[in-house]
This record gives sequence, structure tokens and C-alpha cells, in this order.
Amino acid sequence: MSTSNCKEALAQIVDGEHVCDNPEVIAAYASDNSFDPPKKPLAVVRPTDSSQVQALVAWAYKTKTPLVPVSSGPPHFLGDTVPAAEGAVIVDLSRMNKIIMIDRRNRVVIIEPGVTYNMVQPALAREGLRLSMPLMPRATKSVLGSVLEREPITNPRYAWSLTEPLRCLEAVLGDGSRLRTGEMAGASISTSAGQVMDYAPLEEVLEKRRKIQETVLYQYGPGQFNYYKLVSAAQGTMGIVTWASLRCEVLPEVEKFFLVPAPKIAPLIDFAYRLLRLRFHDALFIVNGARLAFMLGENRDQITRYQQELPPWVLILGVAGRGLLPRDKVSFLEKDIKDIAQHCGIDLKSNIGSVHGDHINDLVLKPSPDPYWKLRSKGGCQDIFFLSTLNRASEFISTMVSEATAHGYTASDIGMYIQPTHLGTSCHMEFNLPFHPAAEHEVQTVKELYQSASYALSGQGAFFSRPYGMWSSIAFGRNPMHTDVLRKIKALFDPHYILNPGKLCFQDTP
Amino acid sequence: MPLEREVYKELESVVGPEHITEEPATLFSYAYQWMAELVPDVSGGGKFFDRPEAVLVPGGVEEVQAIVRLCNRYGLKFHVYSTGWGPWAAPPSGGQILLDLRRMNRILEIDEQNMFAVVEPYVVAAQLQAEAMKRGLNVHISGAGAGTSVLANACCFQGGGPDCIYFDSPQNSILSIEWVMPTGDILRTGSLGSGLGWFCAEGPGPSTQGIIRGALGGSGGWGVVTKIAIRLVHWPGPPVMPIEGTVPAYRTKLPADQFRATFPAFPSWQSFADAIYHIYDSEIGYIAHRQYVMWGDELQAAFLKIVSDPDRQLCDLEELLHMPEIQKLTDEMRRCFQLILVGMTPRDLEYQLKVLDRILEQTGGWNVALVNEPAMQQYVLLYMMRLCFKNLNFTATGGFIDTYNSVASPDIWASGEIEAGKKLLKKYAGRIADAGDQAMGPIAGQGGGGVTGWEDFLFYDPHDPDSVQAAIEVSDEGDRLKAQQGRPPGGMLLGLARTTHTEEKVRAQKLVHAREYQWQRKLKQIFDPNGIGSGNYLWAAEPSTNGEST
Repeated sequence: MSTSNCKEALAQIVDGEHVCDNPEVIAAYASDNSFDPPKKPLAVVRPTDSSQVQALVAWAYKTKTPLVPVSSGPPHFLGDTVPAAEGAVIVDLSRMNKIIMIDRRNRVVIIEPGVTYNMVQPALAREGLRLSMPLMPRATKSVLGSVLEREPITNPRYAWSLTEPLRCLEAVLGDGSRLRTGEMAGASISTSAGQVMDYAPLEEVLEKRRKIQETVLYQYGPGQFNYYKLVSAAQGTMGIVTWASLRCEVLPEVEKFFLVPAPKIAPLIDFAYRLLRLRFHDALFIVNGARLAFMLGENRDQITRYQQELPPWVLILGVAGRGLLPRDKVSFLEKDIKDIAQHCGIDLKSNIGSVHGDHINDLVLKPSPDPYWKLRSKGGCQDIFFLSTLNRASEFISTMVSEATAHGYTASDIGMYIQPTHLGTSCHMEFNLPFHPAAEHEVQTVKELYQSASYALSGQGAFFSRPYGMWSSIAFGRNPMHTDVLRKIKALFDPHYILNPGKLCFQDTP
Repeated sequence: MPLEREVYKELESVVGPEHITEEPATLFSYAYQWMAELVPDVSGGGKFFDRPEAVLVPGGVEEVQAIVRLCNRYGLKFHVYSTGWGPWAAPPSGGQILLDLRRMNRILEIDEQNMFAVVEPYVVAAQLQAEAMKRGLNVHISGAGAGTSVLANACCFQGGGPDCIYFDSPQNSILSIEWVMPTGDILRTGSLGSGLGWFCAEGPGPSTQGIIRGALGGSGGWGVVTKIAIRLVHWPGPPVMPIEGTVPAYRTKLPADQFRATFPAFPSWQSFADAIYHIYDSEIGYIAHRQYVMWGDELQAAFLKIVSDPDRQLCDLEELLHMPEIQKLTDEMRRCFQLILVGMTPRDLEYQLKVLDRILEQTGGWNVALVNEPAMQQYVLLYMMRLCFKNLNFTATGGFIDTYNSVASPDIWASGEIEAGKKLLKKYAGRIADAGDQAMGPIAGQGGGGVTGWEDFLFYDPHDPDSVQAAIEVSDEGDRLKAQQGRPPGGMLLGLARTTHTEEKVRAQKLVHAREYQWQRKLKQIFDPNGIGSGNYLWAAEPSTNGEST
């Protein structure tokens, strides 16, 4: 399809001003900060509502045009929003940024994909709520993008599953049809027959349900399958989500942060396990000095100073009081946690040098200020992240350090972040490799290190559960049956492979 | 129709002659399931559903896979059974073989540090709980009781229960799964499939667990889940729960500075609902449930006396109801629930009790004094921790169903639906047991709170045709009343029994307009191309262009 034909067709669906083939805009979507190969899309289209998304997908289905859904703004780091197929149209969802409903009593919010944490958190705070967040997402990060991609949240006590806080959603499937999930599906196990109707407008449905005390919190179904699991970590390949409901936290009335420094990680792991067991924490994670410095420092000099000042490892612990008697809660938690810390032979501190708990408060509870923390150190950053269990963290750290040394990369420059998740049954491990994008040799070193370390870590037991870029061949190569099943599911929900083709294990059209 | 000899011999060669049978008495024992008399067009009004053609008792995943492959080769339908509780445990129609998984009963691993266990299908909750407690851990127990399969509750049916407020729903507690698909292929999900252990449920990429279960599992009709890892929670009590007393009044003494059973009660349903929201917001509670002794608000106090006092019997009910102290207790307990507070430390319990006091103060509620008596405290703690008295569902009349259920936000408790359910049951009093409001269910169906609700239990006499007929009428009238208000149907159990025990093509035509079952038809075509899974995996017929089903 020619660009002009494409643009003309898209303008029939979305106002012409929101269809773009300007070379600068095209170039912005043609690559990101990852090592994935660049590819120019044909056009960029910015729908404003669910019906426009549905019409776009229906058109793409008919014309077999690849669509790449993008919900977050730049900078991107994972390659998932860079087209892998020729002639793709970027579906930029940033204009779909409505907060559709906030229900304080039932602690739930419904949002569109263009809503960022900076948009939703203040609105929720006014109602006495907040959303569990990943650690310092960039200011442009889509909330739904983060949740759907199973980014870990900093409070493992609220990670009831890896898809938290996701509840119900609506998605446009690859054939242009819509699917609503959970209790919004209409009937999860109903046996009554009715007319085949298109879904009623969301507002109408919500109003009707409010009268019968129904919420949007029950995520399972429809029927005997869970589509919401199929669309998670799918990089936009299984459907375009047009809204979702998310379960919120009650905004704490009292919240304190503690830092636990340690020269080695082992005692922090023991301490974390004890807290996870008792659920005596809000935010709970471990970072090395470099990672904490990246997050705290506003520029290269500050980062260097922090790196010199900070201990090798720091466990960050938040305690909070909500609901009734919040001060009593924090008071007893502090006493009990101090007892546990003493038992583990570690110190619970309110500050380390110039780093105070209040600094941590900002780090944990707010998105990153601009420039994004990953770019402040050297201007570029390649991450390696995977899932494992907390007791294996030291093994992976040793491997990463060995790999870095072998590639001539300064190991002390690596940011390390260990985030317990799913109530402590697993943990997200992340290594950040900052580099100067203009220094060709450095770029090459990091590229080779990233590849080599990914294979070494995988061989050691790292589970690349969210397989971006080169990790897809590692991850899917380890489980051919899962791969085969996924391809069949993809063919069902996206029969022409128009949704972000080429990503994950979906290279070849069936 | 008996299996062809060639097929039988091949199946026998998989499990060995001692683990396959076509002996009629054994086959009928699997067809004898609760509620059969409520589906007369299937059972003829009798006590039996269709019997299987043979029963096999495989010993492991390899045997299960070999059986499923043979079923595919011969076009033979199979139905899967573990601890089997309800009409969906029986084959939904004739001509099927049944796989009884009772030999697959091992706890394969308990990872104490990372808080999960790996179990086979016939591991029951009481078994896993006993082993977990030795390691300071505990496991979710379904409302169906401690004698039911951990795996089936999590993956194959519904599985919610009184402890979801702290333990979460079982779906969210599943880590990796090993699933023999209806094709006979084995899918291992999450980290397990990559050979990296059991710790992770999802990925790589989209989670294939999404096709194994939804709001409801495959109910024995969608392949065979042969192993799962299930998340556990902390148990701050002793390694072995001490049991005292005689049947049915067993008790457990747990450390008083960390365990407390309470009965918060309220002057109105609105204050009842408000208290639930406070509990969610303040994050207290280990187990929370209403009307755990099963009987309604008019009988629960007397019934509590019967089950907690070894000298009392069911025949004492009439006498008890006339006792002034029981009448007073009945009034006190009318709008109460059971809240078990467990402190991870003594300070934690102290805090939770203080919050409960504040909630009662703000809502005008009270803690029913009876529960503070040592014997009652110990009885309630054991009952709620182990859910070991599910026989109570059948004790009084021999049969029960749910009729006027509600699952919604906590405000549903103040919606008038409790009274509507009570009124409906009273209309049929005499033909069915009348115990008042029989709304029984979890205060939270999700971790940390969220949806809540109840099953409105109806007790009928399965040996009395008029009582059976009344049960059907109540359920149907309840569904009509719910539909008039735009609410989902109230009677899940009868609806599901009717649906699963209907001839597959007929049912598919009835479901043709239900969107979710159209997707399930497509999933079935892909993952069960020979249609050998039993009819408990529901699907809709394909709508034709003229609007009729095909």
C-alpha cells in the first residue's frame, strides 16, 4: 500500500490532523534506545476512542496492514514499539487519556491507555487512593502499558499476582471485534441465552451496574478462559486494550521509609524473606549503590558523588498505616521490624549519609522527573531483567559481574535492582548497563555484554518471562510447546497477524 | 455401551489390570452424585447421572498422557475426577470413560523459603495444610472444605473460600502448571516449561494459563492438570494444630496472643456493609465469612449450640429454639459474620483487635459475647482454620442447593437482596427447610477485599419428590426475580448441573448467543480437535448467517 493511500484510508477513520507521515515523526517511531534494528512505519495515527481503534483494526484486518500499538511516550528502551514488519502503521494511543471512573469506596479506577502515572496519581490522591507503581517509571509511561507488560510493582504485598493491579479490560482483537473481560464480560458462567448484541457504551454499563452494587473488580473469565492473561506481556500482539479497571491502594495517612545498608547482599535477602513472610512492609526492594545513585542523582556529577557515598547494597523498606488507626499500625510495625532487624544483625536507618528517607519517598512514590533517570548517567542504558527467586540473587549477580569483567565493562557501573514480587514467591532481577551512545566502542561493548550475559544468565536459570528483542529466541527456545500453543492462540485472536507482527514468537504469518 | 475389547485392552495396558474396571457397581458409584434428582430429564428423577463406561486410575502424567492419546485415536470421550464434589463430578453424558486421579496424591515439594508447594491432583487441603504448618505455612482451603483437592479448586472448578481476604483467590495462587492437553500433548506453563522450577505462573510472554481456566475451570472436561505449584502463606501457630474434644465438637487451643475468633454483629445491613469496607481499608483479618454453620439467621444460634456441644443432637433443635438465651443469641447474631484475626506477632493481633473495636464503635456494632467463651473460641478457630465440617451441608435434610446468590461489592449486603432471598425461601417453607436468611459466603472473595457475596442455601429432602420439586421451583423463581432487576442468575449449582448434563449439541444451540462460549468453541476446535474432552467445557454452536445455530 502506498503512503498516500494509507493516509487517505486512515483519515476516513480518524481526523486527518491525527494521521501523520511527517518524516520527523516517522523517524521518531522507527527506532528506540534498544539494540533492535530500526524500521520506518508507513504512518502514525492517533485515535481518540475505542470505536476509532475498532475501525482502525477492522481496516487493517481487511487490508492486512501491520499495526503497532504504542501507549507510552518516548524514550522507549525495549524495541517492542519499533515495527518489525514493513508497511506498518503506528497506533499511538496517547490521545486516549481519559480517567473514566474513580470509585473510592470500592478502590477501583478505570482508565484509557494514554493515561500516565503523572495523570492518574494526583486524581486518585484527591479521592484518598493511589495505584501501586513500578520503580520510577518515566513521566511518559502509560499505566496500562506498564500493567499489561507485567512490570513489577514496588510493594510485593499488593502483588497478588504478576498482573496486579489489573482487573477488567476491553480489547479490540485482530479481526476488529471487541472483547470485555472479567465481570464486565456480561456473563461469566451464565447459561441463559440472549441476543447477540454489541457491547453497550461503557458509561451506560457502569451506571446500570452501580444500581445493582456491581463493581469492576472481578477479573476472571469470561467463561472458562482468562483472556486478560493472554494479553499480558504480549507487546500488543494479542489485542489493543482500550480501557481497563485497576484495583487501587488506600492512600496511607502515615508512611515512612527506612534504608538498610549492607556491605554484602546476603543479610538483606534474609531480612527481606522475613518481612515478606509476615507482610510487614509496603515498598520492599534491594538496590546496589550504583542503582540508587542513578535514581538519586540529577546529573553525572551528583551520580558519581552518590556512588562514592553509598554502601554496596541498600534495602529500601516502606511501612504505612491506612484506614483506621494508621499511627498505631506504623508504631507496632516499627517495633516489630526493629526486632527482626536486630535478629538479622542489621541496622534500620532513616538516612545514609546525605540520603534521607524523604528522598526515598519521592523515588518510590513518584514517576521519574525528566530527564529519565536511566539517561542521566551516560545518556544511554541497556537493561537485562528476568524472574527468579530471591535466594538465587547472589548467583546471578556473580555471573553478571564476571561477564562485565570479561567484556571490559566496569562492574561497579552496573545498576542492580532486586524486586520481590507475587507476595514473595519470585523476584524480578534487573541489571542496568549505562553507556555513552556516541561512543562507538562503548556501544559495541555493551551490546556484546548484553548478549553474552543474557545467554549466561539464562543458562544459569534466569527466566525471561517478558522476552523483548533477542530474549525471545532464548525464552521461546526453552519451551517449544508453550510457543506452539501461543502461536495457535495468536492465530485465533489475530488471524492475519496484523497486531505488532514479528514480536515475541510471532515471526511468521500462519 | 461397553467399550470395544480392543480399546479396553489398550487402556488396560497403560494402567495395568488392577487400575481399570468396568464392574457395574463401581461405575454406578461415580454416577451417584448429589443433585441428580434435581435434573429429572437426565436422571429420571433418580439419584444417578450417566455412568462411565470404564474407570481408570492412572498413576502419573505419563499414564494420563497415554490414555488421552488413546482417547484421541479412538474418538473416546473422557471425564476427569479427583475429589469430585457435585454433579459435574459425574460424566456429563454416557459413552465416556472416567479418569479417577486418586493415586496421584503426592506433595512433591514444599519450598519453605519461597512459600509454595508442588502437588498432584488428589492432594487434599487438610493433607497439605498439615505438612505446610510443620514449616510455618498455611494453604487456602476452598469453601468446599478441607477434604477437597487443592489442584482441582485452583485450576479446575471455582475454588473460592472464607480465607480469600488474606490468602487471595486460588487462581492468583497458582504458580506453574503441568497440563495434559486434550490432544495428549503436555503443556508446562511459566518457569516450569523452561525447566527453571515452579516459581512463576506466567510466560514467557502471554500466559498460556489463560486457556486452562477462567472464572470457572474445565470441570473435568478440558484436559488433565497433573501437577501445580500453589502459593502458601505464613502460619504463626504451632507446627501441629492441637485437636481436643469429641465429634462434632472438636476444638483447638491456639496461642491467645496471636489468634482470636470474633463475631462482629451489626444493627443494620448498611452498618454491616460499612464494616466490611473498614476491614478492607484497614487491612485486618485472616479469615472472614458469614454463617459458617450453614443455617440461616433464625436457626444458627441453636445450631451452633448443637455442633459445639457434644451432649446436644439435631433432635434438640426444637427445645433449643424455645430457650430464652438462644432466642437472645439469635437476635444478637442476626447480622453477624465470623472474623478470625491472626497476629503475625502479638503486637499485630493487639493492633487488629483495636481496629475491630474502632470499627464496631463507628458502625454501632458489637462482638457477640458467646465467641469469647473459651470452648467456643477454640471450636470456631478450628472450624474456620480447617473448614473440616462440610458434612453440615447435608446433615439436616440430606440435600442442598444455592438459590438466590449475590456476588458484588460489599454494598450488596445492604441492597435488600438478603431480605428478598429470605422472603423467597419462606414462600416455600414446609416443602423445604425454613431457617430464615441463609446467605452464607465470604466477606472478601479476593485478596485484600474486593467482591464479596453469598450463596443463599436451600435445604431440601432428596427423598421427598415434593421437596425436590420445591427446590427446583425456588431456584427458577429466584432466577426470574434476579433477571427482573437486571442481576445475574442466583442459582449457580442447579444452573450448572443442568448445563453440564445436557446433550452437547442441544446445549451448544442454547449457548449460541453467549459471546464467551463462542470463543470457547474456537478454543475447543484448536485444542480439542477430536472433541474428546467431556461436555463440562462449555461451548456455543456457530451462528449461521440466518441467525440460527449450526
